[in-house]
Amino acid sequence: MHIELNHYLWLSAFMFTVGVIGVLVRRNAIVIFMCVELMLNAVNLSFVAFSHFLSDIQGQMMVFFVMTVAAAEAAVGLAIVISLFRNRQTVNIDEINLLKG
Amino acid sequence: MTLTLITFLPLIAALITLLIPKEQKQTIRLVSLLAAVGQVILAVVIWQNYNPSLAGVDDVSKFQFVERAAWFSVELGGYTVSADYLMGIDGLSVTMVILTAIVALVGVGASWTIEKSVKSYFVLYNLMSMSMMGCFLALDFFLFYIFWEVTLIPMYFLIGIWGGKNREYAAIKFFIYTLVGSVLMLLAIIALYASVIDPETGRNTFSMVAMANQQNFISGSALAPSEGNLLRALAFFALFLAFVIKVPMVPFHTWLPDAHVEAPTPISVVLAGVLLKLGGYGLLRINFPIFPEVFQQFAWWIALFGVISIVYGAFCAIAQTDFKKMVAYSSVSHMGFVLLGIAAVNSLGMSGAMLQMFSHGLLSPMMFLLVGVIYERAHTREMDKFGGLAKHMPVYAGFIMLAFMGNLGMPALSGFVAEAFVFLGAFAVEQTRLLSVIGTLGILLSAAYLLRAYKAMFTGERKPNAAYEVEGHHGEEHAHFHDWKGKVDLDGREIALLAPLAAIVIIIGVYPAPVLDLIMPSLNRVAEILSAAANVAMK
Amino acid sequence: MALHDLLLALPITFATLWTILLIVVEATAKRAQLTFSLTSVGFLILITMMLFPSEQGYAFGEMLRLSPYSQFANFVFALSGLLVITLSQSYLAKENIHFGEYYIIVFIATLGMMLMASAAHMVVLFIGLEIMSIALYVLAGIMRKDLRANEAAMKYFLLGAFSSGFFLYGISLIYGATGEMTLFKIGIYLQENSATSLFWIGLSLMMVGFLFKISAVPFHQWTPDVYEGSPTPSTALMSTASKAAAFTALITVVLNVSSQTENNSNWIFALSTIAVLTMVVGNIAALSQDNLKRMLAFSSIAHAGYMLVGIVAGSDAGYSAVLYYALVYSLMNIGAFGVIALIEQQRELTSASDYAGLFKEKPLLAGVMALFMLSLTGIPPFGGFIGKYKLFAAAVESGLSWLAVVGVLASAVSAYYYLRVVVFMFMREPQAENQFEGVVLNPTLVLIALLVFLLGIFPTGMLRFAGEAMKFAFNM
Repeated sequence: MHIELNHYLWLSAFMFTVGVIGVLVRRNAIVIFMCVELMLNAVNLSFVAFSHFLSDIQGQMMVFFVMTVAAAEAAVGLAIVISLFRNRQTVNIDEINLLKG
Repeated sequence: MTLTLITFLPLIAALITLLIPKEQKQTIRLVSLLAAVGQVILAVVIWQNYNPSLAGVDDVSKFQFVERAAWFSVELGGYTVSADYLMGIDGLSVTMVILTAIVALVGVGASWTIEKSVKSYFVLYNLMSMSMMGCFLALDFFLFYIFWEVTLIPMYFLIGIWGGKNREYAAIKFFIYTLVGSVLMLLAIIALYASVIDPETGRNTFSMVAMANQQNFISGSALAPSEGNLLRALAFFALFLAFVIKVPMVPFHTWLPDAHVEAPTPISVVLAGVLLKLGGYGLLRINFPIFPEVFQQFAWWIALFGVISIVYGAFCAIAQTDFKKMVAYSSVSHMGFVLLGIAAVNSLGMSGAMLQMFSHGLLSPMMFLLVGVIYERAHTREMDKFGGLAKHMPVYAGFIMLAFMGNLGMPALSGFVAEAFVFLGAFAVEQTRLLSVIGTLGILLSAAYLLRAYKAMFTGERKPNAAYEVEGHHGEEHAHFHDWKGKVDLDGREIALLAPLAAIVIIIGVYPAPVLDLIMPSLNRVAEILSAAANVAMK
Repeated sequence: MALHDLLLALPITFATLWTILLIVVEATAKRAQLTFSLTSVGFLILITMMLFPSEQGYAFGEMLRLSPYSQFANFVFALSGLLVITLSQSYLAKENIHFGEYYIIVFIATLGMMLMASAAHMVVLFIGLEIMSIALYVLAGIMRKDLRANEAAMKYFLLGAFSSGFFLYGISLIYGATGEMTLFKIGIYLQENSATSLFWIGLSLMMVGFLFKISAVPFHQWTPDVYEGSPTPSTALMSTASKAAAFTALITVVLNVSSQTENNSNWIFALSTIAVLTMVVGNIAALSQDNLKRMLAFSSIAHAGYMLVGIVAGSDAGYSAVLYYALVYSLMNIGAFGVIALIEQQRELTSASDYAGLFKEKPLLAGVMALFMLSLTGIPPFGGFIGKYKLFAAAVESGLSWLAVVGVLASAVSAYYYLRVVVFMFMREPQAENQFEGVVLNPTLVLIALLVFLLGIFPTGMLRFAGEAMKFAFNM
């Protein structure tokens, strides 16, 4: 079978959807964060695929930036999760409900 | 410069007041008094130099004391928004300016007894006084809107802080009612701006004067005067609602009794004396000249609601036991005459409406001052708690008699002239003939409630202990009828406030010509505009 | 060539270098006061820079576009940043989080916003958005010991990252559909070719990302929680400058795809539905809030709705109105949060009823707060009125009168909850004696109040500034 652009796109869309569903249904903050990372990586896949099939370098360049940003985000995000865990001894977002709404 | 000065004199007073330490209450009062006296002097200057032969209304060159300066003008990619600082006087506004100056001065006098946060009070009072004056003088709709809204804020605080027991409720009700009206006005302003061109500059304009001339509408624009333009009717009603809420017209009147009952005396004076007139003035200056054909179409309905206001307001007044509430409802009733007079669509009716505004602008402050006097002494306004006051307060009773007679339209007082003109005007037109007949019922009813009130309070025997049963509105200071002996009647300050109002009421009642001379040319012009639109509509 | 680029992008170059300077100074001196002063100086220099006309054009190989448009936006961001840090100082000291890092992070957030407003390429847009967002996550969570702040930071972070995912996916699909990432080239491509469904999906996903950032309904649920839990000065920045940045970026994108969106009834319908929902839901929900910060959160949702009206209008008048509104809104909201922050330092007072009697004890503070509330309501003669007027006038001009009607009615509803605060401050007796003793009025608040007032009376200068900004954006 010859692998076309569409195959990549469908895979990327599938991964993105898995990520979105994960964010919506999982309760553990770390897992939710992992799902967000999955979303970003799904997008990265589509970037690379587009870049390859368009013969344009910009998409691949973007991926590097996304990876950097994701790393920075992970650093800040995990710091937030840790300080929360120190104070509450839990990372289950259902139990984190001081703020009404 | 005259108009700028008369408008912003209170602002200067407010700024000076801010610099005075709040302990020096007397200085603060004197500053405001000076500003108010200055306004009256300027009003007299304007009156003396006013040339009554120029009509104004839809022609800037026939306005007087015109001041014009670019205010802001911004070009945004091919389309410009500009508003002018445009002020001027014509027959529609000149009497209102004089009235405002007088009432504002009386209001300052009535504020003399305010002891709570005097500094803030007078700052707000002066801001209100400024914006009221500005409303009557502004000819640029945007400027008018700013002034119109600015009246709202000080009024809100003045009722809300210095008012009676339910002041919060009254203040917020007043605010929301008026705000709903004014946001509708804002929409109409936006649409009008997009549709009207200033013939001199060829650009879109906020000038109310340009809007009053149908030639200045861009053909094909949203509000262009064309056959069956529904948007014009909508814009008309947006403006109409904004103004009649202020008038107030039944069924949009419910904020008024609450506001009056809770407001301190000087604020009631200003509210009844000037702010309600803004509604009537707005109808005459803005609503009808800009949308004459819509007005023609609905004139009968407007007259109908005017009559409903007259009769319903009077019935409500009859049902009141609270003196101030009765006076408030009588205001609703009397402002109904303004609507009826305007809706007659002839210069006779409209001049009656103008006169009624002027006359009510003098009589209702009198009434509220008198209510304030009795409330200050007895801490109650329940009419059946009083009796035999004529014996103990002869001067007071005399003023009350005059105010009541003026209000119920006794000949030789201003109310009579005004209401007579309204009825004659409305009767002369076939479509409002029946309504004007029903409207006369209002006079009978007002005679009923006013005389009943007089009888209850001033005749018969004094009820010395009654006031003890009343819960004091001020908490600790309970009512003490005992203290009345000797010093119950009006003091010099109160007489000084009431006497000029009374004098003008009598003078106009006997000899209304000076006022009529001022207003007639402009009203004739408005009538021309309206009838021209009617002719076009008939064709 | 490179030097020329650096000079052309001077504000951004400067902000970047200044950030490095700040970090070095803080790392070596460790004195929060010093860092604060230097950050203020940095903001002041930026503001001064924005007031002078500068060279326009593309920098760094069409990555950045410097124009009066970015200049106006940068002015708003730098001003907001400066005001926020001056209002933060005593609050941070009181909460024992007076770290120099705080100011640096505010400065970095501002840098991110500036990148968003100057972006000419999707990469810069994304980087700017992320720099801003990540900085704001930190600001939300800077009170490490406070449970509510932890929770707010967590929610903000997870939802922010989530929305970034959508935003990024949108970029990717637009890239795939047009083969370009430079915004104006996308615009050219769209003028020559018709849009594919891939493009529309991409644009929608990108819009979802934007709508999250500006907290438009139905992507607004995070807003009240985050605003309530975060330290108040951080909330002030989040609710104002970051929204303004999202709107400027949104305008940049919409301008470049305007050949597809203009007169596209689906687009207008979708966006105006969201605008209406945002205005209505925001205002209705704010009515029932007792907590002042939550009330302001819902009100900020409503204000995002008003600004969306300008976007829907789709004309230069509409966009310049959004810019102007962003400025006025930033000022008055920072002011309102500033007052709350001041009061909070004294006591943990959260609901409107806690403000009873403020006027008696601190008349000037109460007066300033009342001015902000009235301006937020949109009552003349304050800046908020001119802003709203411009927005709704733009809608009417574009034939969307019904949208203006909804907006105006919604803002009439808002009078109720804003005035409630005023009622408590002015018309109620205080709950306890001297409960506001020790609250010291920050002169910055008076300055903001003055600005809001002046923007309402003499709007010409700023309106012209905003208008120029749009003119350039259109001619480009």
